[in-house]
Amino acid sequence: MTTQIGTDPVVREGSPAAGGGHPARSRRRRPLISYGYWWWALPAVLMVLLVHYAATSGGAFYAFTDWTGLGSFHFVGLDNFRRIFDDPTLLGSLKNTLLIAFGFLILTNVLGLLLALALNRTLKTRYLLRVLLFMPVVLSPLAVSYIWKFIFDYNGPINQLLGWVGLEAWQRPWLAEPGLALWAILTVMVWQTTGLVMVIYLAGLATVPPEIEEAGALDGAGTWGRFWHITAPSIRPSIAIAGALMLIQGLRVFDQVMALTNGGPGGATETLATQVYKETFALSNFGFGAALALTLTAIILIFSVLQQMATRDRS
Amino acid sequence: MTKQSPGRLRRLGVLVAVPVLGALTLSACSTAGNDSGGNSGGGSGGETKSFSFVFPTATNSESPYETLAKKYTQETGVKIEVRKLPNDSYGTTLRTQLQGGNAPDLIVVAPGRGQEHAVLPLAEANLLEPLDDGSTAVVPKGSEGLFTLDDKTYAQPTDLVPVGMVWNTGAADKAGATFPADATGMLDLCRKLAGDGKSFIALAGSVPPNLGLMAMSISATRVYEQTPDWNKQRADGKVTFAQSQGWQDVLKTIDDMNKAGCFQKGAAGGGFDAITQGIVRGTSLGAFVPGGAAQEIMNNAKGVTLQIQAFPAAAGAKPYLLASPNYAMSINAKADAGQKAAAQEFLNWLAKPENAAQFTKIEGQVPIAGVEGAELAPQYEPVKSLLTSGDYAPLPNLEWPNPAVYDALAKGIQGMVAGRGDAQSVLAATDKAWDGK
Repeated sequence: MTTQIGTDPVVREGSPAAGGGHPARSRRRRPLISYGYWWWALPAVLMVLLVHYAATSGGAFYAFTDWTGLGSFHFVGLDNFRRIFDDPTLLGSLKNTLLIAFGFLILTNVLGLLLALALNRTLKTRYLLRVLLFMPVVLSPLAVSYIWKFIFDYNGPINQLLGWVGLEAWQRPWLAEPGLALWAILTVMVWQTTGLVMVIYLAGLATVPPEIEEAGALDGAGTWGRFWHITAPSIRPSIAIAGALMLIQGLRVFDQVMALTNGGPGGATETLATQVYKETFALSNFGFGAALALTLTAIILIFSVLQQMATRDRS
Repeated sequence: MTKQSPGRLRRLGVLVAVPVLGALTLSACSTAGNDSGGNSGGGSGGETKSFSFVFPTATNSESPYETLAKKYTQETGVKIEVRKLPNDSYGTTLRTQLQGGNAPDLIVVAPGRGQEHAVLPLAEANLLEPLDDGSTAVVPKGSEGLFTLDDKTYAQPTDLVPVGMVWNTGAADKAGATFPADATGMLDLCRKLAGDGKSFIALAGSVPPNLGLMAMSISATRVYEQTPDWNKQRADGKVTFAQSQGWQDVLKTIDDMNKAGCFQKGAAGGGFDAITQGIVRGTSLGAFVPGGAAQEIMNNAKGVTLQIQAFPAAAGAKPYLLASPNYAMSINAKADAGQKAAAQEFLNWLAKPENAAQFTKIEGQVPIAGVEGAELAPQYEPVKSLLTSGDYAPLPNLEWPNPAVYDALAKGIQGMVAGRGDAQSVLAATDKAWDGK
């Protein structure tokens, strides 16, 4: 004869002991966690409010001032925000930000999905390949960027390889040509992050029953038909998650740009995030930098909401 | 059997975890509290035997500041905790630390307002301690405006820094080249060297300050030799960068150099390592680096002989140089009283002529009091006459109103070298930065 005591009030109240005896409640026992239900979370909630929201709001306040980061400041209203949309350099940064974000979103998702589909079943070495493809994800973005900076260097391995195969005409300063630098940055970002997207899609594909795909094949559906009508709808949540994460990561790209090009050459690869850093810390325009940061936050929010609306389940 | 054990263990775990976490949090806060305002050993008052010292560095080798600190410790027994910060992020990191109250006690700053770690904005924000009369006496006459505010001195200059270009005499001899007499000769030499697989200049094209330094070195003869008070005229609104023939000539010279192959292959993407490797290996004969950097390179690359040369003037024009007290030392206002006193004693020790001369020799610069009667390092032989006759102007950006001006000029030139933008748009952007728009 056993009796559940303590943690399960439903069991305690609803289930008489075996044999119809008295309820086994030898002493009053309330779990500690239910006793401290709301106020035990209070310190953590306060920390989040203080460190995250209060600090962010404090920074946002300076967006309406001319503070240089040192000394006193004056209110300037919306002047900082007007300056953002009047400055061609900053509009160029906005263009670069959107280009990188959507390029990153599309490339990582397409490549990640293709890899996930290839390594989902059948292939005997799929587990080893999954590990190898995921490994770049765990590396520091800054360290990866510095290694790629060496690879892209004019005297680096890429140009040396091109020289060995007789393609000297293709040798370039990859990070110093305005037309190529942005694509070089995108290459590094996609290289490092595709493994993560692959893992997200693998998790989604694991929930697709093979029997449904087999049934579709028996009904005459081709590969593309099975993917579009069976697989894709089944992995819609994975598409939503991967899409949201990659869009947000692409919009706030910073480490790779700073390490590879520092926004150069001549501002050709500046993004809103790098501009926030430079205006705030390098040029001591704290108020203007805060305005840029608020604008970037608003852009990320808008695109995230739009992306969630586009990928929501309509059934 | 009742299931009491898991619940009891859980409650015991929670009761133990809470005080342990609290103890850890309190000890972390206690450590963070001790770290504020100075960050070194020694008490908060009374006699102290150490202080902390931060300075910028671009290489991994021992900096002259480190050597100086070791000498001081040897002589006085006062320990100095040195901290090196990378050159390209020095200003940003220093301002953040000063604002956050955890900067070291003694810091290297730049005179004036034109750089991120310039002394005057920091003094205006009450982040620096006023120095005593011993430091004031070191400030060269006519340069007070770069170091003082409201009759208080906030930085002590260390030496005079000639800025032209370094020239590898050994590599030049091997390449059969002599330093060009003027800009026309320079472009001819560039084409010849490019044909031989070498370059006249090693350029760190991916680092905007190196391009900015190149522009300022060229401006010595194109702008400031004819108009020494150009910066004042700009401040008064009488001239602009965009309308200045001198500054247009500076950018045209850079464009001509780029087209003539004066820079090494892949210069647009080169970093500081391209400069040191190019100069040491002799694949590039010159580079735009401050005079002290020449001493550092020679200290670490035996057999390499470098000289400081003034950038070639236009044909028929007078040679001219840039030289000014570009580095100074200040004391963190939030340091403890004992550490402030120790740092001021160090500055007073450095102000003594024999110690200043020692540091100048270590650093490879020129004495702050000038060249007359001083023992000049051999690398300055080519520019000795210019220094003696006073044919030099201060580094232009020391007198510019904010760091954005130099940033706009440097980035614009970086874009030009990479094929993006033109001289007029670069100069217009520089004017815009000056006017704070």
